[in-house]
Amino acid sequence: MGADVGDSNGAAALAAHGLSKRFRKKVALDAVDLTIPVGSVTALVGPNGAGKTTLIRVCMAFERPNAGNVEVDGVDPWKHRGEALRRVGYVPQKPAVYGGLSVEDHLAMARSLHPGFDRDYARRRLEQLAIPLDQRADTLSGGQAAQLGLAVALGTRAKVLLLDEPLANLDPLARREFIQVLLDAVRSEGSTALLSSHIVTDVEDACDRLVILGGGKIRLDCPLEEAQRTHRLTDADAPPAGATAVGSFLGRGGQKIMTLWRLAPEGAADGAAEGPAGGAAAEAASLEDVVLGYLAAGRGNAGLQLN
Amino acid sequence: MLTRTWLTLKQHRFETIAVVVLCLIAAAASLGEAYRLNSIQLPAGCAIGQRYMFGPDVSAPSTACQLAADRFYAVSNGTGMGLVRVLLGLLPFIVGILFGAPLVAKEIEQGTAPLSWALVGSRRRWLFGKMLAAALLIVPLLLVAGLAADVLQGASSPGLDPHASFENFGSRGVMVVFWGLAALFGTVALGTWLGRTLPAVILALVVCFLARGFWDVGLNRTVLPPLAVMQSETPHDTQNGQNGQMMYGQYAWSPSDLNVYYRTYLDGKPWDGDWNTWWNEHQPVQPTVKIDPTSGLPVGVAVDNGPGPINQIQGPYSVPFVIHGDRYWPIVALESGILLLGSLLCGAVALVWVDRRRPY
Repeated sequence: MGADVGDSNGAAALAAHGLSKRFRKKVALDAVDLTIPVGSVTALVGPNGAGKTTLIRVCMAFERPNAGNVEVDGVDPWKHRGEALRRVGYVPQKPAVYGGLSVEDHLAMARSLHPGFDRDYARRRLEQLAIPLDQRADTLSGGQAAQLGLAVALGTRAKVLLLDEPLANLDPLARREFIQVLLDAVRSEGSTALLSSHIVTDVEDACDRLVILGGGKIRLDCPLEEAQRTHRLTDADAPPAGATAVGSFLGRGGQKIMTLWRLAPEGAADGAAEGPAGGAAAEAASLEDVVLGYLAAGRGNAGLQLN
Repeated sequence: MLTRTWLTLKQHRFETIAVVVLCLIAAAASLGEAYRLNSIQLPAGCAIGQRYMFGPDVSAPSTACQLAADRFYAVSNGTGMGLVRVLLGLLPFIVGILFGAPLVAKEIEQGTAPLSWALVGSRRRWLFGKMLAAALLIVPLLLVAGLAADVLQGASSPGLDPHASFENFGSRGVMVVFWGLAALFGTVALGTWLGRTLPAVILALVVCFLARGFWDVGLNRTVLPPLAVMQSETPHDTQNGQNGQMMYGQYAWSPSDLNVYYRTYLDGKPWDGDWNTWWNEHQPVQPTVKIDPTSGLPVGVAVDNGPGPINQIQGPYSVPFVIHGDRYWPIVALESGILLLGSLLCGAVALVWVDRRRPY
């Protein structure tokens, strides 16, 4: 192991320092600083093109950063790929399965590629979901294929799980099942998960931390509870007391322009900001509202609407 | 390793089946054609000498001999034999390209590379395992096809040991295996670089076509000349000395020899002058005929003082330098070694590149 391999007992499961990645003139990540605490389930949220996939790919050593660095469980994946990948379980964006191989073959392949792969553990997970092990992967449903990908990632017994929009192509039931399996595993193993998605409602119940990425920059990085506690929503320009405007966007139904406000820490703590100075009612912001507000701020317009 | 080999072959099920079927067809077809030739039971020396224009003249062959020879050449020049020869010539390239192109490129196209690369600590080890699996499949299959082609060669040239003859040298025996390996590893490198199967196949076809086309020319100009010896004069040449004009035909061609190059000689010494100039300077004297203007009849012949009658001149002549059939195995070892070196180089390029490239 080289000198740059860090101590895995540190508090950060994943840390990025001034991380930048460009694809020719397009900036995908712009000096991103990020710390994902050990044991957290973090939602990485942002619109398409925000840089979520690029961030995860840099963590997987699939992309080389142009500046800065990232550490996964204290290891720089670009400098020590093998060491870093032993600590990471990865679920790619599209369910990537070998069409000609059976489910069991996938587990055998994972075992042959990853020395620490726990085949029995992965097998049990799949059996719990009633996915036949002898079924060919190209005959699995989208949800089953995603579960297979997750089982392979979990079977590595990795400390850090990186999931790149695994829910994007799943139906609502399959999404819920996927999230449940993920949470069970994370809680029982004490691992850390970073789950990227552009569908806010999917990650709302699963995650305890929120990172909003827009235009290659971190817009918000805080615990989920804090994100909701420190933000308010109004349909007027008048701010709640001590609040600063984050962004405006088209509200549900497309009738009103809503503005997201960030409360001052003391205001958030004592629950004082229930109404704006001008008297208009301030609503508690949902997670989706928070995300929309920050993404609208990033885009500089009010027309943004997430799912 | 066994599991990975098995899974690689299973993962490339179509390619595996296609390669097995192709090689077995080629081997069976070769053996079938060899059987047809052998069943004619052409007597040794019967007509072969005449057909090939070398060796002792077979004068007045018997009718039975002639009939057997006709049947023999009907088979050996037939469509079936032609197809088998074409298949044997292309086989190593088809097999190598068929298995090599998708080995990495298909993973990238179908999005499975991130799955594997996220699991494996070293992509090089991953690709090495896949290349090894492919090699373990194609080597025995191509060896079977190559040995069957050797049997066919033995049947096609009665009296000539196929392992002491350079006839169809590159498309039979162990050379087939090494050409297949070179095509495989070269195409793996292209597939890894391009990340797309079809472009890799097309580019590999072009590269293999050029490599095979320039192979003999390249070797004949580089590594083989020091090994070649001057072809000895045949005592059986029927033209030699009849009119003394040129020494062409003085050196008999033997199908078991590997022709490497020709060197021009004049007066028994190497000569690199211009043939046309030499002949212009030494062209035969043309008799000048004088015509009687009254009768219109020739009245005499004047001979100028040229260099002398052509039939007294021995002009420049080409001497073939060859490698005799008895050096078959050293040459096989040499060419196989070069191909193996190229294969390993291509494999190394693929291993380096797979470590650098994106999995999509």
